[in-house]
Amino acid sequence: MRGDEVKDKEDQSIFKDIRVRIFIIALLASLVAIHPWYVADEGFTTNLNYGLDLEGGSWLQIKLQGAIAQVDADPGAIVKQMVESTIGTSIEITDVNIPSDGSSNGQTYVMFTTDDYFTQSQIDLLGLGRATINRKDDLTEVTLYSTKESLIVAFLSNSLNTEVVPIAYTDGIQYEIRTAVSEQELQDLMATVGGSIVKNTDGTLKYREGVTTETRDMTKDILSDKLNSLGLKDIPVRTVGEDYILIDFAGIDLATAKDIAEKPGKFEIRIQTTGNDSVHVLYGDNIESVGVPGFHEGQWHTPFRLTETGALALQRIAIETGAADNPDAHWLNMYLDDNEVYSAPLSPSAAERVKQFPIYAWESSTGGDEESKIQAEQLQIHLRAGALPVNVELVGSGHVDAALGKQFKTQSVLAGFLSLLAVAFVVFRRYHQKEILVPMVATSISEIFMILGFAGAVGWQLDLASIAGIIAVIGTGIDHLVIITDEVLHEGKLPPTKVYLARISKAFAIIFAAAATTTIAMSPLVVMGFGALKGFAITAIVGVMIGVLIARPVYGIVIKEVLQKAD
Amino acid sequence: MSFSLTESLDLFVKEHNNRQLVTIPIVVFMLSILALALMFASTGAPVKLGMEFEGGTMIAVTTSESALSIETKYSDYPIIDARSAGERVVMQFGPMDNKVQRALEDDITASYSDVEIKQIGAVYGSALQLQAVKAVVLSFIGMAAVVFLIFRTAVPSIAVVLSAFSDMTIAAAFMNLAGIELSLGTVAALLMLIGYSVDSDILLTTRILKRRGTVEEKISQAMHTGITMTTTTLAALVVMYLVSTYSYLVSSSLPQIPMLSDISIVLIFGLAADIMNTWLLNTAILRWHVDRSTPRRRRT
Repeated sequence: MRGDEVKDKEDQSIFKDIRVRIFIIALLASLVAIHPWYVADEGFTTNLNYGLDLEGGSWLQIKLQGAIAQVDADPGAIVKQMVESTIGTSIEITDVNIPSDGSSNGQTYVMFTTDDYFTQSQIDLLGLGRATINRKDDLTEVTLYSTKESLIVAFLSNSLNTEVVPIAYTDGIQYEIRTAVSEQELQDLMATVGGSIVKNTDGTLKYREGVTTETRDMTKDILSDKLNSLGLKDIPVRTVGEDYILIDFAGIDLATAKDIAEKPGKFEIRIQTTGNDSVHVLYGDNIESVGVPGFHEGQWHTPFRLTETGALALQRIAIETGAADNPDAHWLNMYLDDNEVYSAPLSPSAAERVKQFPIYAWESSTGGDEESKIQAEQLQIHLRAGALPVNVELVGSGHVDAALGKQFKTQSVLAGFLSLLAVAFVVFRRYHQKEILVPMVATSISEIFMILGFAGAVGWQLDLASIAGIIAVIGTGIDHLVIITDEVLHEGKLPPTKVYLARISKAFAIIFAAAATTTIAMSPLVVMGFGALKGFAITAIVGVMIGVLIARPVYGIVIKEVLQKAD
Repeated sequence: MSFSLTESLDLFVKEHNNRQLVTIPIVVFMLSILALALMFASTGAPVKLGMEFEGGTMIAVTTSESALSIETKYSDYPIIDARSAGERVVMQFGPMDNKVQRALEDDITASYSDVEIKQIGAVYGSALQLQAVKAVVLSFIGMAAVVFLIFRTAVPSIAVVLSAFSDMTIAAAFMNLAGIELSLGTVAALLMLIGYSVDSDILLTTRILKRRGTVEEKISQAMHTGITMTTTTLAALVVMYLVSTYSYLVSSSLPQIPMLSDISIVLIFGLAADIMNTWLLNTAILRWHVDRSTPRRRRT
């Protein structure tokens, strides 16, 4: 009688224990997060997401090519080199008023003379800046108003055939070159215009491979935008490390994925004729470059440059439709994949100028408020029509057939299940007691369940690497349960409560120490975002945490209860 | 199985002095270093680098054709190797340009089912190499720091760190002997080995330093627990290895799962090394350390 009473009290107390309650709540929460259910036509389903290697699909990993460097050059040499190579006439630099220390001393300019005739549009085509042209005594004298910064930008983008963006830093202007160029190549290139890469105080060159975080994120946004505009939902585009972008195409084969990634969107400019009718002006291939949105004259603007064909086409159509004479009746519309993304009349000044000569550099204004800023940034992406701001290189790709993925899934679940059976077998051979075997295996299963619950709750994808992580955690989990068991059953039988508690805390001292080392050993993989191994490491850490904080303390309580009853 | 191992290991430890005990693990460790050095001398890396680190393309398909005929069929491409396991053939290709790659992929997807493709560019591969080295070094330093924080005494901490280092070295040397390449999976296994290795070492060290009783008694008790821990883990890993590697023997269409196979085989050998390092090397160092710091009369 008395013995039964004591037992009843302890039966109650086990559920009053906060650790047991947390454990039960965690299990229930996991059940909700995993949400296993049965649908008649789909069969057994859960809320868990699986990675591409288990679900089927493909992935592409691309590297953004670029370099950031601080360079210096002789402005006169740049102008001479660029004018001569583009226009094909030899010129004589007569005056350079661009201070080398960068201090602005009134109007900065480069003056040169030549025997040949120069037109305004020829100079405009160079994109070096505003110019005045004087013709006297068989000699053309050109004054080019520009800055060293824009001359260097023009020179680099012209020679490397890419976009170059100046970025102001405290120690000077650095240039983001959006294509692959090695330190040596850049040094050689700058030497042709009497310049070089600027040196740090320690003698190394101010050069690094890669692009800015802003550029990387913009590239990511453009890719996302493009994939979404193609009606493909839920294609995650992620940045990996500094210079990599990873795209997962669930359920899409590798060839299709590559097609999608390579296919640019269709961008078109049209000018309104009457009512809803409009005529085609140009496609996205005639947009040479797109600049960063800026704010001036109370408006947000997105600058872009047309090719020669594009500029001529726009001039011709603007005159033909009457947009040049009456801009307000003939708006200019922009479309991306046949959806209108911008619509506005030509500005009066642009309409006036376009009548005289083709305009290469345009700006689209969107308004003055915050929303207009967002619109201008959107327009920048649309104008690029899915063309990326930097050159990219495909550095990795993968593909798993859906049927194969399913097989991997079944087989790895089977591997996990059989592993657990093997563990159970060894445990039983060691202790010969089902009172120990059952709680131990049950604790292990509860840990797996909670890891899956966590994965379901945060929506992370389970791939082969995470499954390997789960199996690895089960290994350490059983290790820890063995430590608890042996510590408690020191002399082969259950000790009195006081001794029991002392031993449990000794066991946990060992377990916490071991868990801390495993967590620390795995954390570099999580921080470094190391491809497939990140999933492995996160699962291992989460599993260890769930194990030591939630599941294993309860095992310590349960094993005592069960063994007491067995006595 | 674990009993007889524990009993004989226990007896072995009791019957040999510390110097004799450390000789075996140190000889194995030296041989492992030699194996890594030889590999380093011939390839420039201590272990053979797999496709993920060297760059290249891996393609696996289900087919009844032989590996040899597939190798001939794709000899226009830079094919390095083709191996079959059941109905699965795994091909390895060297780096090729995007157009050739595309043509190969189109050909493969059109002719075979259950296709798996993995391609890593050489540049990305070497970036991964650097990251892998960094990860292993950082993990190891982190582990060592935690171990020193836990024990706060030099000799036992050094013994734990040394034992973990030796486990990894022996596992890596074994990879060279068995012809297993370094892949993302095997890097994960080497890192996980740090965790497993430290588990039993911490158990042993805590038991010996912080409990009452004779050293011999504490060693055999710790050994009972420790060997149980390692054998349960080994059992799980052996099963995982068999299922992920030899399923095709049961049904020839079942694919191998290289990542699970790699992780489990490296861990199996790492843990086998760990039994030796924990119960010979670490035990001998601890026994020496305790004997040295206790008065002479209490020695048995």
